[in-house]
Amino acid sequence: MKILFVTDRRVDAGSIQAVAGYVRAGDALGHTIAVYGPPDPRFRDVRTSTEVRAFDHVVFLFESKLRWLSGLQLANLLAGVPRGRRAILDADGMANRVTGIEGYDRNHASDGERDAWLAYYERLADRIMQPTFTPAEPGIIGLPFYGYDPAARVSAPVPKQHDLLLVGHNWWRWREMSTVLLPAIERLRHRLDGVCFVGLWWDAPPPWAGSLGLGEAFQTDPERLRTLRVEVRPPVPFSEVIGTMSTGRVNLMTQRPLFRHLRFLTSKFFEIFCADTVPLVLIDPDHAEAVYGPAGRELAWDNGGADRLLDVLTRPERYRAIVEEVRAHLAAQHSYRRRVEELVGALEV
Amino acid sequence: MKLLLVSKLSHTARAVNTLAKYVRVGQALGHEVAVFGEQQSEPPALPASLDVKHFDFAVFVVYMPWDFPDLPYLAQLLDGMPKDRRVIIDCCGRYNETLRVEHDFNHLEKMENHQGWEWLEGFQAVSDRILQPTLTPRRSDVRPFLFHGFDPKSVAKWYESPQEAAAAWSGAVRPYGAAYVGTNWQRWTQMRRFLEAVEPLREQLGRSCLVGWDWDKRPDWAAQLGIAGVDTDPALLKRWGVETKPAIPYDQFVEFLGQARFSPVVHRPLFNELGLVTNRTFETFCADTLPVLMVPDRYVDEVYGPAARPLAPGDDVTGRLRDMMRRPEVYWDAVLQTRAHLAREHSFERRFKELVAILEG
Repeated sequence: MKILFVTDRRVDAGSIQAVAGYVRAGDALGHTIAVYGPPDPRFRDVRTSTEVRAFDHVVFLFESKLRWLSGLQLANLLAGVPRGRRAILDADGMANRVTGIEGYDRNHASDGERDAWLAYYERLADRIMQPTFTPAEPGIIGLPFYGYDPAARVSAPVPKQHDLLLVGHNWWRWREMSTVLLPAIERLRHRLDGVCFVGLWWDAPPPWAGSLGLGEAFQTDPERLRTLRVEVRPPVPFSEVIGTMSTGRVNLMTQRPLFRHLRFLTSKFFEIFCADTVPLVLIDPDHAEAVYGPAGRELAWDNGGADRLLDVLTRPERYRAIVEEVRAHLAAQHSYRRRVEELVGALEV
Repeated sequence: MKLLLVSKLSHTARAVNTLAKYVRVGQALGHEVAVFGEQQSEPPALPASLDVKHFDFAVFVVYMPWDFPDLPYLAQLLDGMPKDRRVIIDCCGRYNETLRVEHDFNHLEKMENHQGWEWLEGFQAVSDRILQPTLTPRRSDVRPFLFHGFDPKSVAKWYESPQEAAAAWSGAVRPYGAAYVGTNWQRWTQMRRFLEAVEPLREQLGRSCLVGWDWDKRPDWAAQLGIAGVDTDPALLKRWGVETKPAIPYDQFVEFLGQARFSPVVHRPLFNELGLVTNRTFETFCADTLPVLMVPDRYVDEVYGPAARPLAPGDDVTGRLRDMMRRPEVYWDAVLQTRAHLAREHSFERRFKELVAILEG
């Protein structure tokens, strides 16, 4: 099968890492997978194509921005590919009814906003997929979409720069950060040799946040981070994420409250296990076990919090063994080869 | 015939006046013409419709990527109107290989995030019939269709003779010696040349006025992106006593220009190269002003006719302006003859019939 992904190609965010995994696994299985557009030196490992008519299916990847394709670009895609061969990956749950988490994170501010998304989706494609085992809305196809690529795993030990590292952007993270993580860091700070956050918006919100009514989504407290000696660094390109994570003894994987609620998966669930590190994942322990296998429960932050972090740092061998167990589970259950097969199956229906 | 015009309307720029004329003229000729979209109450309040299947043809009038509507509307159009009943009028020469003329481009990748191939493939996906408002399209798969036209009913003042026109022009006290209405997009080089020529005559003529976006200062985005062609020189304009004003609605264009004795017709370098016409190519002749044709000579002959040649100043713009003031009858004769030529050869009735013939052909 020939599958063309259409995505807003961003070098330091989005799903491009996953697309690269699909391209590699697709080649191994005899499928041709590419991303729409001309060749881009920033994404050297990702096959590109503008021959929309040469593909069997086109999959549009949507996150939280709806109108990132212009009318001109859409004209070419719509006219070249019949609706029955178009599908949407709704990565951020925008097809769901208005869902708010404790007055904080949300997918939509209003029913009207959701209706606009649905009207757009309905005209674009005849099927919608979401990266979850359990879609909340009827008619949506649930498939994990993101996967684990053993070939991307860092094979040799990497010198460590930090005890605790977080590689990710500050998008709907601050409430958990300020109420859960920073108090834990504060408690253990004298025992932590280096704490670093790598990503967007930890140092300051974007200038446009307020005008879009998204001030809360980018809330931060740089002074508090400074007081706790949390180093903040800019984001890295997707090709450097795993290498960067490998410089931390422990890496935190956080998720938006909305995604935790919807049990959505992201690239980060799997990427982090390619790094030379011990991940601690801030998701429900049951969800951790569902994704990572029984050993995954031991890596859930909720299962001990700061004590768990201390345990990881003081008993690294134990946790390296747990991580290996999770990796074996991921290679068996969540490889990109399996993801490609799942996607092909969903598109063939 | 039922025509659906597809374009993003702006009441200060692009083809709004032309589209309004197509609606009016089409109706007068017994056709039904509407603009695709929801009915707007703001001017121009043109008839609008989303009922694509009701219409015989969809005519996309394209300047910018967003002249193609967004979803869900775009899908309604493409699903509701078969490809052989869609046509594109490519107003800026987008359907060409990437061209650079001085600091002007047809594919503005830095600003619009679209590469040349996207324009070509996008157009080809929407229609097999691409029209450009030039008599000499570069590509063999493009038809010439000037699209814009001259509306004699919009002429501010009809004169019986050049003598009457010259007397009225010379006798009236006008706020401005020269005025230009249009956006400062790729026009600064030509406009500076014109204003430089007017400056020695300022005492006689009075001040000049530039009306439109970005004459008063270079926009921040142009500086950030390193885009040339939106340049201006506020200090120079001040020294030359040139007033700048913000953009005005399209239906005030003719009246405003009538406040000036001269008005230059200036096209982007890209348009001069491709021979593209604009609405202002023709509208300027509706105003009660003397047009100064700062466009290539072949263009003057091909579009305006030989009678308009005196209005093209060549290299000595100051000299020509002086002569216009000294012998206005000669130049008003050129204007009146050109108006007659435009009314014969470039009326909106003629344009509409040309379009119908293309669509039915």
